Amino acid sequence: MIDANHLLLQSVMIPIISAPVILALGRRLGENVGWVASIPLIYVLVTLSASAMEVYHGKGMLVASYRWAPLIGGDFTLMMDGISAPIALTIALLSFLVCIYSVGYMRGEHGLGLYFCLYMLYAAGMVGAVLAADLLVFFIFFELMLIPSWVLIAIWGTGPKERIALKYFIFTEAGALSMLAGIAATYSMAGTFRMDELSSLLAGVDGGIIAPIASAMLLGLFVKMAVFPLHTWLPDAHAEAPTPISALLSPAMIGIGGYASIRILYTVFPGLLENWVAMTSLSALSLITMGYGGFMALAQRDLKRLLAYSSISQMGYMLFGISAISHLGVIGAVLLYVSHGLAKAILFMASGIFMKLFKTRSIEELRGLAGKMPYLSVSFVIGFLSLAGVPPLLGFWSELLIFAGSIYTALLSPMDLVRLIITLLAIIMAILTAGYGLWTIKRILYGGSLEGSSKIAKEPMLMTVPMIILALLTIILGIYPSIITSILNNMMI
Amino acid sequence: MSLEYFTTIAWLSWTIPLVGALLTPLLSRIGPKARDYGAVAFSLLAMLMTLQLIPSLMMEVEWPIRSRVSWLIIPGAPIIGEVGAGMLLDPLSVVMVNVVSVVSFLIMLYSLSYMHGDPGLTRYWFFMNFFIANMLLLVLSDNLILMLIGWEGVGICSYALIGYWYQDSREGWLHYWVGEPPEAYPPSHCGMKAFMVTRLGDLFMMAGILMVAVSTGTLDFVELAEAGKIVPANLQPLLPAALILILGGAVGKSAQLPLMEWLPDAMAGPASVSALIHAATMVKAGVYLVARLFPIALEWSSAVPEAMNFFYATMWIGAVTAFIAATQAMASTELKKVLAYSTVSQIGYMMMSLGAGGVAMGLIAGYVGSIFHLMNHAVFKAALFLASGSVIHACGSRFLRDMGGLRKYMPITFCGMLLATLALMGLPPFGGFWSKDLVLTATLSAGEYVVFGIGLATAILTAFYSMRMIGLVFFGASEQRGSRVHEAPRIMWAPYTALAAGSLIIGFAAPFLEHGLEEVFAGYITIHGASHGAGGWNQLVPLFSVAAVVLGTIPAYLIYVKRTWKAEEIISKHRSLEALRRFILRRYYLNAVYYMAFVKPSLRLAETVFRGFEQGLLDRLNYAISYTARKTSDIVRRIHTGVLGHYVIGIMIGALILIALLLGGA
Repeated sequence: MIDANHLLLQSVMIPIISAPVILALGRRLGENVGWVASIPLIYVLVTLSASAMEVYHGKGMLVASYRWAPLIGGDFTLMMDGISAPIALTIALLSFLVCIYSVGYMRGEHGLGLYFCLYMLYAAGMVGAVLAADLLVFFIFFELMLIPSWVLIAIWGTGPKERIALKYFIFTEAGALSMLAGIAATYSMAGTFRMDELSSLLAGVDGGIIAPIASAMLLGLFVKMAVFPLHTWLPDAHAEAPTPISALLSPAMIGIGGYASIRILYTVFPGLLENWVAMTSLSALSLITMGYGGFMALAQRDLKRLLAYSSISQMGYMLFGISAISHLGVIGAVLLYVSHGLAKAILFMASGIFMKLFKTRSIEELRGLAGKMPYLSVSFVIGFLSLAGVPPLLGFWSELLIFAGSIYTALLSPMDLVRLIITLLAIIMAILTAGYGLWTIKRILYGGSLEGSSKIAKEPMLMTVPMIILALLTIILGIYPSIITSILNNMMI
Repeated sequence: MSLEYFTTIAWLSWTIPLVGALLTPLLSRIGPKARDYGAVAFSLLAMLMTLQLIPSLMMEVEWPIRSRVSWLIIPGAPIIGEVGAGMLLDPLSVVMVNVVSVVSFLIMLYSLSYMHGDPGLTRYWFFMNFFIANMLLLVLSDNLILMLIGWEGVGICSYALIGYWYQDSREGWLHYWVGEPPEAYPPSHCGMKAFMVTRLGDLFMMAGILMVAVSTGTLDFVELAEAGKIVPANLQPLLPAALILILGGAVGKSAQLPLMEWLPDAMAGPASVSALIHAATMVKAGVYLVARLFPIALEWSSAVPEAMNFFYATMWIGAVTAFIAATQAMASTELKKVLAYSTVSQIGYMMMSLGAGGVAMGLIAGYVGSIFHLMNHAVFKAALFLASGSVIHACGSRFLRDMGGLRKYMPITFCGMLLATLALMGLPPFGGFWSKDLVLTATLSAGEYVVFGIGLATAILTAFYSMRMIGLVFFGASEQRGSRVHEAPRIMWAPYTALAAGSLIIGFAAPFLEHGLEEVFAGYITIHGASHGAGGWNQLVPLFSVAAVVLGTIPAYLIYVKRTWKAEEIISKHRSLEALRRFILRRYYLNAVYYMAFVKPSLRLAETVFRGFEQGLLDRLNYAISYTARKTSDIVRRIHTGVLGHYVIGIMIGALILIALLLGGA
C-alpha cells in the first residue's frame, strides 16, 4: 500500500526541519522553548497514529519510496508494518512525554535551545531507524540517533560526562561500522538495500557466506542492545546522561537494536533461522544477558545504574523472544519493547524527580516516600511490576508470549530438549526482576520517612503527569493487549 | 431461569467489586463515610450476585455453563493466539465463589470498625475490593491464562495488604511487626517476602501452563481433559512434568512445603487481611487449582500413567505440611501465628485429601472432603482471625504472653472464639468434624495407611494447639488487667460470632450437605473405579478422630486452662524437649536456611561479581583497549620526527623493498 499522504516522510522530516527553528528560538524563549518543541513531536504522534490505522485497516504495510541516490540505486524508502507500527508509536509517545518532562527537569539549565534542537534530531533518528525499509536509510538514521545523544550526554550529563559520552560513542560507532561492513557486503552481493527484496535475492547464496555477514550486522545491533558482554557502555551512559535523555536512551533507543535484529534475522536472512546452533546459542546468550543484568541490578546502590542494568536484563528478554524462531516469540519481543519502554520511562522519570527534589539518586538516601508522593509511588510500583511481568500489566503479556514462543519451538517435533531447558531456566530467572524491583520499591517507598522530607517531597505536576499517563497505558494495554497484537498480523516476515 | 441468566451473574459478580475498587479513590473525595460504606456495599452486591448462583446447584442443568468473549487476538499465532475470556460455572466454581463472597462481605463489615480512623483507608478499601474481584475471577475463569491473571492479581493485593503499615514503625512493633528476634520482620519486608516466594511458585506454574498449552493445543479447562489424551507420543512425558510444575504454583500460593515460609510472616498485615486473604480465600487458591485439575489429571492418567505422580505429590506434600505446621502452631508465641500455622496445616489436610482421592482413581470422598473442609475452614478460620484482631487490639500486643484471663472482659469474643476453635479441633457436631472425617476416610480408602497415620497425628496436635491457644488467651490470671481491656464493638463481634455460629450450623447440616455435595460432584467427575469402602475400618474413622481430639485436648487443658501442670517445669526437666522447642520455634531452621542459602548468597554474589568481574575485569578491559591504542600511537608517533632527512631515508628504504619484491616476483 502506498503512503499517499506522505505520512511517514512527514513523521521523519518534521522534527528534522523544526530542529534549527528551535535552536533559533532558544535564545528568545529560554525555558519555554520546550513547549514549542513538543508541537512537532505531537504532530509526529498524530501522523504515525494515522499511518498505523492505515496499516491496521488496509491489512498490509504502508510504503513510501522517494528517488534519492540514483548512483547506487538507493531509493529513500520508508515502510510501516505490524512490527514497526507499535514501536514507532512508542517512540513518538515517549519523545513527546519526555519532552514535556524535560521542560520541568531542565528548568534553570543553560543552552536549552541547543538541548531541544538535539532532542528533535535524536527523536527523528529513532523514528527514522524504525521506519527505514532500506539498510542504507536505516544506517543513516542509526547514526543520526547516536550523534545528538552523544552531544546531549557530553554537555548536560553528570559525573565524568565527557569521558562517558565518548565511551558511548566509540562503542556504538564500532558496532555501527561492523554493521556498515555487513551492509556493504550484502549490497555487493544483491545490488540493493531494500530489506524486503534481499531475502529472495540472497536465497541461493551459500550459508557459509551469509553467516559472517549477518553476524557482522547483528554484532553492531547487539552493541546497541547492550547484550552481554558488549554492555559496559550502557550503565555509564544511562546513569550519567541527563535524566530525560536516560528516559529515552533506555526505553526507546536500545530496543531499536532488537527491532533491527528482527528485521535482519526474519526479513533479510531468514535462512539463518534454520541454523540450530546459531539460534540456540543466541537464546543462551540472551539467557546470560537477562540473568547477568538482573544480578548486577541487585548489586546497585545508585537508582539510575540499577535501572540501567535492568535494561540490559530486559534486552535479554527481547533477544530471547527474537531467537525463539516463532511468530509468538517475535510478537512477544515487540510487546516487550513497548512494555519495557513504558515501564522504564516511568522509572527513569521517577529517578529524575528524586534527583531534582532530594539532590541524590542513591537508593540508601531515600526512604518512606510512599505517603508523601502518592501518584509518583503508584506509577513507580506499576513500572516495576510491569517489568516483573505481573498481570494485568503489559509486561505480563510480553513475558508470556516470549516464553510461549520459545516453548512452542522447543516442543515442535522433533523435540528440542536443549531449548526447553534454556527456556525453563529463563522463566525461573524472571524471579530476579521481581527481586530487584520489589527490593528497590521497599527501600525507596517504604519505611519511616526522611527527616525534613515533608517540605521537599511535593510532586511536580509537570513531571508527574507524563508518568501517570504511561502508567495508565501500561494498565489499559495490559488488560486488553489486542490493541497492539491485532495489528501484528501485518508483518513483513 | 435461563443459562444466560447465570452467566450474566457470573460476569457481574467479579466486575462489581472491581468497579467498587476503582471507585474508591473517587468516593474518598466525597468523604470518609461514603468511601467506607461504599466499599462495603460493593462487596455486599458481589455477595448478592454469587448467592443467586446457588439455585443452579439444585437444578437439573448440564454442567458446565459457559460464556466466552474473545480477548487476546494474535492473528496467525498458535494456541495462545486466541485466548478467550470466559466464565465457567460448574459445581466447584459455584461453591467456591460463594465461600469467597460471603466471607469477604462479613470481613468487610468487620473492617468498618476494625480499621476505623486509619490514615491509609482509601488504599485499604481499594485493595480489599480489588482482591475480591480477582479472587472471584480466578475461580470463575474458564482457561489457565485468565485464571493466571486473577491468580497474580490476588498476589498483588496480598503484597500490598501485608505491607499495609509500610512505615515499619519500630515503636509499634508489638502491634505491627511479626516474629520474635532474630526472626522479627517489619510489614514491608513481609509483603515483599510473600510476593517473592509465591512468585517463584507462579513462575513454575507459568512454565507448566505453557508446556500444557503447546503440547495439548488448548488452555481451556473443559477441553484439556480430552486434549491430553491425544497428545503425540513424544510429547506425552511432558504432561506429568507440566502438572508437577503447575503444582509448584499451587504449593506457593497455598503455603505448602517447601514454600510455606511466607505465610507466617504474612501476619504482619491487619487481622482482617489475614482473615480474608491468608486464611479464608487466597491461600485456598492452590487447593482450588488442584481440584480444578483433578478430573483433567485423572483423564490424562489413562493415557499417561505417570500423571498419577501429580496426585502422589499433592498427597505427600499435604500430609507432611499438615504435620509440620501443626507442630509449629503448638509452640508459637504469637496469637496470629498460631492461626497462620494452623491454616497451613489445615490446607495440608485439603491437599492430602485431594491427593488421596486421585491416588484412589477418583475417589469422590477425597474430592468432596477437600472442598467441604475448605468451606468449613474458611468459616471458622475467618472467625478466629477476626476474633484475634479484637483480642490483639484489646491487649495491645500480638504476643500470647501478654494475654490471659480475657474471658471475663471479652465474654462474647470468648464464646465466638471457643465455638470456632471447637470447629477447628474437629469436634462433633461442628462442620470441621465431618469434613475431617471425610479427609481421613479418603486416605484410608486409598490404602495410604502412613498418610492416614500422619493425618490422625495431626488431629491430635490440632486439638492440643487449639486448646492451648484458648487457655493462653482467655484463662489464667486476670487481676492485673486494667480498664483498658474491653469487649469489641458490635460491628466487630457480629461478623465473627456469625461465622462461628455458621460453623455450628454447617455441622448440623453436614450429613445433608455432604450428601448433596457428593451427588453434585459425582455427576461431574468421572469415577474410574475404587469403591467407597476399604473394609470395615472406614466405620471406625469417626471413633479414631474423636479419640485423637480427646488425646490432644486433655494435656492442653490441664496445662493451659486448669494450669495444674506447669509447661515450663515439664520442659525444663527434659533437655531434649527444650531443644525440640527451640528447633520448632526457629521454624525448623527452614526460614533461616532460605535466607542463608538463597537471599544472602545472591546478594553477596551479585556484589562480588559486580566489583570483581563487571568493574574489575570487563570495564577495565575496555579502558585497556583504549590505553593500548593510545600507547601504540605514541610509539608510532615517534617515527614522525619532522626531520626531512629521516623521511628521505624512509622513502628510499621503502623503494628498495618494493624493487626487491618486484624483481623477486619476476
